[in-house]
Amino acid sequence: MLRAAGQVAAVAVIFLVLRWLIGNLATNYGRLNIGFDFGFLFRPTQFQIPNHPEFDPRSPVWRMVLVGVKNTALAGIFGVALAGVLGLIIGIGRLSQNWLAARLSSGYVEFFRNIPPLVVIVFFSFAVFLYGPLPHLREAIELELFGSDRPALILSNGEWGIPGIRSTGDISLYGILTLVGIVVAALVWRWRTRVTEQSGESHHRVLWSLGVLLVVLVGSYVALGGPFVVDWPQLSENRRRLVSGFSVNAGFMSVAGALGLYTASHVAEIIRGSIQAVPWGQSEAANALAFTNFQRYRFVVLPQAMRIAIPPLINQALNLIKNTSLAAAVAYPEITNLTQTSIGNGRPAVQSIVVLMAVYLAISLVVSLILNVVNRRMQLVTR
Amino acid sequence: MTASTLDSHPLHPPRIGPLEWIRSRLFPNLRSGILTILLAPVVVYALYRGALFFFVNGRWEVVTRNLTLFMQGTYPRGEQWRIVAQLMLLALALGVGTSTSAASRADIAREAGLTVGKRTPLSIIKRFWSLIVFVLVLLYFAATVTPWLVMAGTVAAFLVGTSARFIPSRFRNIGWTLAALILVAAFQVVVGTVGYSWMITAGVLAAGAWATFQFEGVEGRRATVYRTSVAVAAAVVAYFVYTVLVFPGVGWDHWSGLHLTLWVSAFAIVLSFPLGLLLALARRSTLPVLRWVSTGYIELIRGVPLITLLFMGQYILGFMLPQGTDPSSITRAITAMTLFTAAYVAEIVRGGLQSIPHGQTEAGLALGLPTGKLMRMIVLPQALRSVIPALVGQFISIFKDSSLLYILAIHEFLGVRSLVHAQPDFRVIAHAESLVFVAIGYWAFAYAMSKESQRLEVRLRAGKS
Amino acid sequence: MNRERAQVFADATEAKGDVIIEVEGVDKFFGDFQALKDINMNVGRQEVVVVIGPSGSGKSTLIRCINRLEKHDRGRIVVNGIELTDDLRNIQEVRRETGMVFQQFNLFPHLTVLDNITLAPREVRRMPKKEAEELGMRMLERVKIPEQARKYPGQLSGGQQQRVAIARALAMQPKVMLFDEPTSALDPEMIKEVLDVMVELADSGMTMIVVTHEMGFARAVANRVVFMADGQIVEVGTPEHFFTDPREDRTKLFLSQIL
Repeated sequence: MLRAAGQVAAVAVIFLVLRWLIGNLATNYGRLNIGFDFGFLFRPTQFQIPNHPEFDPRSPVWRMVLVGVKNTALAGIFGVALAGVLGLIIGIGRLSQNWLAARLSSGYVEFFRNIPPLVVIVFFSFAVFLYGPLPHLREAIELELFGSDRPALILSNGEWGIPGIRSTGDISLYGILTLVGIVVAALVWRWRTRVTEQSGESHHRVLWSLGVLLVVLVGSYVALGGPFVVDWPQLSENRRRLVSGFSVNAGFMSVAGALGLYTASHVAEIIRGSIQAVPWGQSEAANALAFTNFQRYRFVVLPQAMRIAIPPLINQALNLIKNTSLAAAVAYPEITNLTQTSIGNGRPAVQSIVVLMAVYLAISLVVSLILNVVNRRMQLVTR
Repeated sequence: MTASTLDSHPLHPPRIGPLEWIRSRLFPNLRSGILTILLAPVVVYALYRGALFFFVNGRWEVVTRNLTLFMQGTYPRGEQWRIVAQLMLLALALGVGTSTSAASRADIAREAGLTVGKRTPLSIIKRFWSLIVFVLVLLYFAATVTPWLVMAGTVAAFLVGTSARFIPSRFRNIGWTLAALILVAAFQVVVGTVGYSWMITAGVLAAGAWATFQFEGVEGRRATVYRTSVAVAAAVVAYFVYTVLVFPGVGWDHWSGLHLTLWVSAFAIVLSFPLGLLLALARRSTLPVLRWVSTGYIELIRGVPLITLLFMGQYILGFMLPQGTDPSSITRAITAMTLFTAAYVAEIVRGGLQSIPHGQTEAGLALGLPTGKLMRMIVLPQALRSVIPALVGQFISIFKDSSLLYILAIHEFLGVRSLVHAQPDFRVIAHAESLVFVAIGYWAFAYAMSKESQRLEVRLRAGKS
Repeated sequence: MNRERAQVFADATEAKGDVIIEVEGVDKFFGDFQALKDINMNVGRQEVVVVIGPSGSGKSTLIRCINRLEKHDRGRIVVNGIELTDDLRNIQEVRRETGMVFQQFNLFPHLTVLDNITLAPREVRRMPKKEAEELGMRMLERVKIPEQARKYPGQLSGGQQQRVAIARALAMQPKVMLFDEPTSALDPEMIKEVLDVMVELADSGMTMIVVTHEMGFARAVANRVVFMADGQIVEVGTPEHFFTDPREDRTKLFLSQIL
């Protein structure tokens, strides 16, 4: 009886506090004549997004939001890829018999886990790029391939020029043919796997699939008469900007690279922990059955370790995406950075921040759903 | 088959010589050998370049000349004695706290008939080597003798504090109360009686009075009445004392550098814990409204990055309070960080509560314990003990996340670099050096905390059967 | 006394054919603790040796040294003519010829029963899938649970899981089967079904070394019983000698505690 009353009282208190807070907000906003609407999303942005010359400041704010989301996603994808690959290597290296490999991996993890990711991002942005050893774009380093007089890489402290692709023919058809090639390679994979099951000989399925894919890619290229060429990077006449090639922005490299390195330390720990969590008896049974180390990892340890590792790994991917918001400290225009600029340019703060939080909540929701689906699929079958 | 004979066989394990060690650890088989051959030159080269950077080429004057900025930022120079006093009081509190905890563990061990492990200076150095190295680095960078004297004074204060182990075991609780009071004094000596300080002091005095006067002989209702009245009396006394004794100080709006980082983290940790606990309990509540509100809050906070909450604090919090109250940036930041961390603490505690076997609750109910007591005396203590490592991990996280205040143009340990590099001498050079210094600072603290958490984990697991 | 004992041993060994496992002067240390002290033992083809002893006596360590799950620090171990060294190829060869059944079953939970059994023949002996599955089903029939082939280990009872483990080891067609307390983790009503399988295995002529507490099994099937304590072999004998007229005091003490 008393408990119920206590809880009702608690609810009442929460309700009153919220009402007071929001009431104040409304009053203060009313005084300053700021509206609560989201109409600002349809009005012009009125500022330029750095490194996006194609963005027109007259376009509505919601376009700016899309650019920000795109940049967040880009940094997130590259960061996750880097963290995944690096983390896997370091995680397995931690368990290596080789003392040097094990120690280096431990050192990496113990270092990166204990420093703030923002410090890594700022380090890349300021010490590696902006004020680092690379020169300004005007005196950029141009690296040429052997025997060529065109630069293959242009390095500066603000952006890098790397070879891109310029379409000279029907590149969309080539894209379709590439997809077809991938499907065929997948079918070849399945075919070779089945052959092994029947006869017991090695399948070499990786070689077969890649070989088939290569044949399709090269064949399509020739058949279409060369639908694209390499777009080598080149500086403009006055050496003030890149006119061709693909430009990779230093801010992007800082954020994606730094977060990749930082998150890799967490990924390595998760992978190491999950491998160690597989009961020792499983490894012993595999050894007793005369499996090689590789076979033991592949058939017994890793499948079980992955079940344990995947939920925390997905969590880390989400953390990395949330950490891209730290780009607000450097010159990478992802959504948080742009929101800060936008508020600085006079857009209403409450609504902008609500939009910002909504973006991240949407991403979190999608990742949570994926996690739930993956979890359910991976449950071990028990009584 | 023969029975074994013992006489003619040696009983020592075969020893491994250095050559054998190299062979077995670095070249046990072909693949490993290739790995060693590839890695070793890279490591050697990296060490070589590192040594050059640290000892030869590095522009470490960026740290030497700006050490005060890094440590305490733009804190008014004339009031530095307060920080020195704070440092000593903190060391004193640490001494009292650690010796009280060690002594109470010794009490328990003595009653159980066990012995406690000895704690030598060498073991302490091994335990906290990262912090000791950092302090030595700071002393090395300091140009004058004063930091050495301060260091000596701090160590002396710590040793004085450890005399608390001589308090007889009956009054052990006084040790904790004393430590808490000294902590508050350490805060006050810098902050003075401006702002919220008197509230904090009053609260701690009340809690301390309650803890000290246990009224062990008195049972039930009367004990509660006694305790509450002592607590209320303490709060009232504190209020009057502080309205009479007004003395100035340097409010936290004027703190910066490492000093600010440490205190902001401490506040966020201390304040987020009770809030997180309440949220976790609310989430398990039978009342649907409480459950929804807390679940909604937790899921919302955990889905967004901390920076968005800091933005909310900076831009929106002011509007949510009546006109005229204008909390400073630091207050807003601490509020945002507390609200953020509380959601994560709530999830951790919830995990701990769920891990308590239902049999515990059943046993308690069978004994006739009411739910409140059941929670407080049986379920919560076990749940909290089991999640201490995860909680410490979260606290380390919030310590690292205090670096985000840089984005709000608050000059904490990372952010103070903007001031350092605003000087014409350091505008374009020595960014790497200052960042490495900041990184080492964060690393020293975080590493020490994570090692402590691992020790706790081992000790907790050993305690379980 | 010694000569008499040696006579008994020699009879036991020669009665069963040539030697398939030689253990000579083996010591094993865990740090400073010596788990095996000068172990000497030969096992003949088709012999069933049961190893008993108190916990910590080193009996599990001994058989785990035979398939190199533990590495012996001194002495020689030779299995089917192959000496166990650090050479990986030797170790793999030995492991192909020895099958092991664990106290905790150690079935692979993410694979079906049939996959558990066929995985090693397919990957280690490179057997085609169809052939391996036929072999697997034959093994399952031998342990009397062919209907469980498509289920997962988590869906089986303890006794059924251990029988699958035996089938898995048998599928590699080993020359020697090693059993490390195979029934110690089972509920009492399931012990019999596993022991029945082991008895049938012994009757079919498999060389077996069994570490167990099941004295009934030892009496029924063993050619020799080995008693270990504190890392040493204390006494060896045929079941008749061993259980009715043990020589060493230590043996008598142990038997009085468990029988």
